Amino acid sequence: MEYADVRSPHVRARTGATTPAVIAAALRLSAVRCRHGRLIAVDGVDLTLAPGEHLAITGTNGSGKSTLLRAVLGLHRETTGVIEVAGRQARGTADWRRRRAEVAWIPQRQGAGRFPLLVKELLDSGGHLDEAIAAAERLGVAGLLDRTLGTLSGGQLQRAYLARALGQVAAGAELVLADEPTAALDFAGQEQVAEVLAGLAAAVVVVTHDRVVAAACGRVAEMAAGRLREVR
Amino acid sequence: MNSLGVLLDLPSVRLALLALVLGSVALPIVGVFIVGLDIMPVRFAMMHVALLGIAIGLLTGLDPLLCALVLCAVTGGSLTPLARSGTGLSGAMGLLMTLAIAAALLVLSISGVNANGAFELLWGSILATRPGDVVALGLLAVLVPLLYGLRRRDLGLLLHDRELALCSGVAVERLTLILLVVIAVAIASAIRLTGALLVDALTLLPALAARRVGRSLPSMIRWSVLFGLAFNVGGFLLALLFDLPPGPTLVLVGGACTLLLHSIPERGLTR
Ligand SMILES: Nc1ncnc2c1ncn2[C@@H]1O[C@H](COP(=O)(O)OP(=O)(O)O)[C@@H](O)[C@H]1O
Ligand SMILES: [Mg+2]
Repeated sequence: MEYADVRSPHVRARTGATTPAVIAAALRLSAVRCRHGRLIAVDGVDLTLAPGEHLAITGTNGSGKSTLLRAVLGLHRETTGVIEVAGRQARGTADWRRRRAEVAWIPQRQGAGRFPLLVKELLDSGGHLDEAIAAAERLGVAGLLDRTLGTLSGGQLQRAYLARALGQVAAGAELVLADEPTAALDFAGQEQVAEVLAGLAAAVVVVTHDRVVAAACGRVAEMAAGRLREVR
Repeated sequence: MNSLGVLLDLPSVRLALLALVLGSVALPIVGVFIVGLDIMPVRFAMMHVALLGIAIGLLTGLDPLLCALVLCAVTGGSLTPLARSGTGLSGAMGLLMTLAIAAALLVLSISGVNANGAFELLWGSILATRPGDVVALGLLAVLVPLLYGLRRRDLGLLLHDRELALCSGVAVERLTLILLVVIAVAIASAIRLTGALLVDALTLLPALAARRVGRSLPSMIRWSVLFGLAFNVGGFLLALLFDLPPGPTLVLVGGACTLLLHSIPERGLTR
């Protein structure tokens, strides 16, 4: 699906778009199906997200939300259907590399790592260390740069991963996939993260049970038993 | 008690010491990779694959240890697809181990060689170190730190979390392939020094000790090499002094030190 390019002419000129100006959807899913062996975790999901649009996905535990996000990144092998980011499907290794560079991800299970990784190494891995550190400062975790991920609290870890994602956006990612990014946060943290996500110019898909975060998104969808239903 | 000075004049003792020092550079780093990838069973599998390589060597008349080295490298590389799932590698090792030993026994019986001859090679002997072994360990001593130096960022991410590495632009498949081949070759070359049963002393013990004190990948790498040198050279000299078998002695020295380190309460260590 394509959109009329509503960006101002000078932005269009800078990005090299020619008239008639149309740009691809930030994310397009068509008949996406994911299995875990015999279990069908995602069952025929269709979705189109315009550039800069923000979508919240709610739904019960085990309804397939995380699996769907992971499928977009090519981290879930048993996936069929069409998944396009910025109008491109990923087929070979190089495509997936590009996909993972243009999509920022905040995983649900963070720091599952067996091996020590420093916070600053995590921030650096997003491709834009300076911006990630600036984000870490705003999120109050810049004092932890030399700590290993394993020594952080759940909330600190989530803030560090969010800072990494903001670095990815600064490095050019135009889609952010956030999987329950406020699950471990205090109330103030939830509001702050909702605000940070809302302020992003990139397209955002955020899986959340947090009303504040959902309210800040232009669209809300609910996932149930592998199917996605638009609520708002 | 023996006089160290006299013993150190013996060429075989010097060669052994050189091999141990060289081995202490590369092998503990490889141990850190093994611990990081959580594939300790790979070492048991490689030991059996090495035995198969030796058997093939005896059958064909080629250098048995070279056969072991090459077979380990090939097997290590072909395991890469299994590394995609977290538990894939560990689980498959049991199968590989069993198949390798069965194949080895079959080849040995076909070749008409007494199986004990092959097993003897697996016991290894530091004092029987040949110049070829020293060259292999020397190459590893250059290549492994080089690999670490060039791919430090990628290795840190991969060892921490495969998916984070994938999403950070790391060529995960290629790096895993390189690591598995390096691990396999390192284990095969280390077998010569202490024998297959004691290979852990050179790889895993320093890595486990380093894990206790190092809090990031670079510091763990440094500590592992330091511990490796201390355990191996210390154990070897002790064995010479008291006329003990070198292999078991340096394993016990390393094991005791690692245990000691792990029994010190966390706060007692600078972290
Ligand atoms: N690694 C896995 N192996 C097998 N089943 C899984 C695995 N991960 C998730 N599942 C199953 O897939 C379904 C969807 O999981 P998930 O996408 O994590 O749900 P959500 O994020 O909505 O809570 C659940 O039934 C879950 O049990
Ligand atoms: Mg989930």
